[in-house]
Amino acid sequence: MSDIAKIKEKKKLWEEKVLAPALKKFKLDESPTRYYTPGDVENFDFLEEVGFPGVYPFTAGTYPTLPYAVVSTKGGMPSAKGLKRAARYSGYGTPEDTRDYYKMMQERGLRGGPNLAMDLPTQCGYDSDNPMISGEVGKVGVSIDTLRDFEVIYESYTGNLDLDKIASNFTINAPANIIMAFYIALAEKRGIAPDKLRATPQNDILKEFIARGTYAFPPKQSMRMFRDSAVFFARHMPNVNITSIGGYHIREAGASRIQDLAFSMAIGIAYLQEGVKAGLDIDSFAPKFTFNAFGGSMELFKEVAFQRAARRVWAKILKERFGARDPRSMLIRQPMGAHIGCSSATEQRALNNLTRGVIGGIASALSGSPPQVFPPYDEALGLGWSLEAQQLSEDAARIIQYEARLTDVIDPLAGSYYVESLTAEIEKEAWELIEKIEAMGGAVAAIENGYMKREVARSAHERQQRIERGEELIVGVNCFTDESELDVTTTRLIPHPYDEEKRDQAEAQQIANLTALKRSRDSRRVSELLRDLKEAAKREEENLIPRFIECAKEYISLQEMCDVLREVFGEYEDSVVY
Amino acid sequence: MEQKRPIKVLVAKPGLDGHDRGANVVAMGLRDEGMEVIYSGLRQTPEKIVNTAVQEDVDVIGLSILSGAHNRLFPEIIKLLKEKGKEDTLVVAGGHILEKDIPFLQEVGISAVFGHGVSVKSIAEYIRNNVAL
Repeated sequence: MSDIAKIKEKKKLWEEKVLAPALKKFKLDESPTRYYTPGDVENFDFLEEVGFPGVYPFTAGTYPTLPYAVVSTKGGMPSAKGLKRAARYSGYGTPEDTRDYYKMMQERGLRGGPNLAMDLPTQCGYDSDNPMISGEVGKVGVSIDTLRDFEVIYESYTGNLDLDKIASNFTINAPANIIMAFYIALAEKRGIAPDKLRATPQNDILKEFIARGTYAFPPKQSMRMFRDSAVFFARHMPNVNITSIGGYHIREAGASRIQDLAFSMAIGIAYLQEGVKAGLDIDSFAPKFTFNAFGGSMELFKEVAFQRAARRVWAKILKERFGARDPRSMLIRQPMGAHIGCSSATEQRALNNLTRGVIGGIASALSGSPPQVFPPYDEALGLGWSLEAQQLSEDAARIIQYEARLTDVIDPLAGSYYVESLTAEIEKEAWELIEKIEAMGGAVAAIENGYMKREVARSAHERQQRIERGEELIVGVNCFTDESELDVTTTRLIPHPYDEEKRDQAEAQQIANLTALKRSRDSRRVSELLRDLKEAAKREEENLIPRFIECAKEYISLQEMCDVLREVFGEYEDSVVY
Repeated sequence: MEQKRPIKVLVAKPGLDGHDRGANVVAMGLRDEGMEVIYSGLRQTPEKIVNTAVQEDVDVIGLSILSGAHNRLFPEIIKLLKEKGKEDTLVVAGGHILEKDIPFLQEVGISAVFGHGVSVKSIAEYIRNNVAL
């Protein structure tokens, strides 16, 4: 009898002779625990399925080693050079408010470029003076209407912080090409060529239709814009990442773990196909694809297995489906690995969110990413994390790395019967769902027919039902909630750097700025350029980014450009799922 | 008191906020609770919301918003409801609404604001106890 057959036989015996009596003794109908053996990974082939870090299929890790894992104190005790936390997603109010925020952070040690949060009107392609969006200007991010606003935000980014020395992050999707045009125009004004610029526009429009909602144009026309970005950045901006694909948002919207992975991969496939269709060699642009992050959950081992499976699936897609030869085309490059997900944070007994965050940080460390403890514990208490909460998150990550030494070994769970079995299972189920979407015609088709959105809503609904039935437990929310539990609270000692008064006044201020600017323009030239843009938009093969740059230089606004595009492309209308 | 017909609810997303997980979950959950639910979809102006509410003759409007624009958009919605003679519609809200804004919103006419961790069952219960039929 083979070893595996013997093990399986012995497991059956154990279940009958040892486990069953124990269940009887504890009056349990079924065991609350499971046990894994080599029988669960019968055909496991280490070299085929795992191999080595930094080598196809990248299961063990994207890179052969982890430079951030250095603990040596040869150069002195480790310290965070500069205030890393200020490079978080930030921005609010008017461009002046955001400029002042970044100036203040620079005084506190921030090095590097902004990670810019933009307000909803900007993200949806509207200007601050549009009456339809009144009340939203400057709320969830900074208001950006024209090139002038970028000039203001980047005022303090000069000298050794000039645009050719920093990297900027733009969380922008539908009008990503226009925002990048503002950045390029700003750089050109400073005598900096586009190929010197380092930036990552999020530029992941497909997930907007199913999870985040800042769409503008219909899916097909949005893919034309994506094609423009892939081609323009691949050819002229080698230091710009074309996209930052977000399974994260899809999971936060309620998708299951498998849907997160499969939908992300299908979306990635759609984007890659756009580039290939446009005549790009796969290896000339795939290395510039990044991932924002995938989603997360509290289930540590499943998130570790997820990360391993994700690396393997993406690598296989690039190699087998797209014929990539350069290993750099096959990598999941992401700034954040495993985590618990913001939606795991509770308002009740909020300090518990630090405990939760640590579990995510451990999952991250065990699956080949820096141990980020995310989100900070006061995630559910309001927009913007307090500095104390951010400090504790950073210290927690440091403790995971420097005290618990969890980053000393890459993929320590490789070979675990449980984790290899989980990884294989997640991969298999993801492939099934990817094939289902491809059979529909791909991600765009699965969005147009409402499939993806319906599935995400269904998963969200099912999860809520499980929570309300007590099948899924959230400590302090649906269990351990009686009066004997202490409602441990904390207060914020250091005020959040966003000035609330400024945020409230931002709309009026920005409208005044925009009105004044529009008066100072050459209105004939503006009309001319917008007319040309419209004609260009009608020509499917034309890359609109050079047009956007021209328009940007004349201080044509985001909405003025988007309105032209809306005339040609149409507008997307949200489909109701039920 | 027996209800001759199911309670009719409009779940709406005012403004540009595109996070609809909560709205979906509440809409489907209230449907499970036996209510008739219409979900408006994203990017609803106050006018559109009130027009739909009037057209569909709903008993309840549930507003979901996470963008911070509630202080601006909610009073507008209540004002339009009054203009259409629909001030007896029960209006409740949820999403990302700071506690410090709740007194103002209640004054304006929002009957209840449901925070994080609230069960759909409890929302349904509240509606049953407070709806004007």
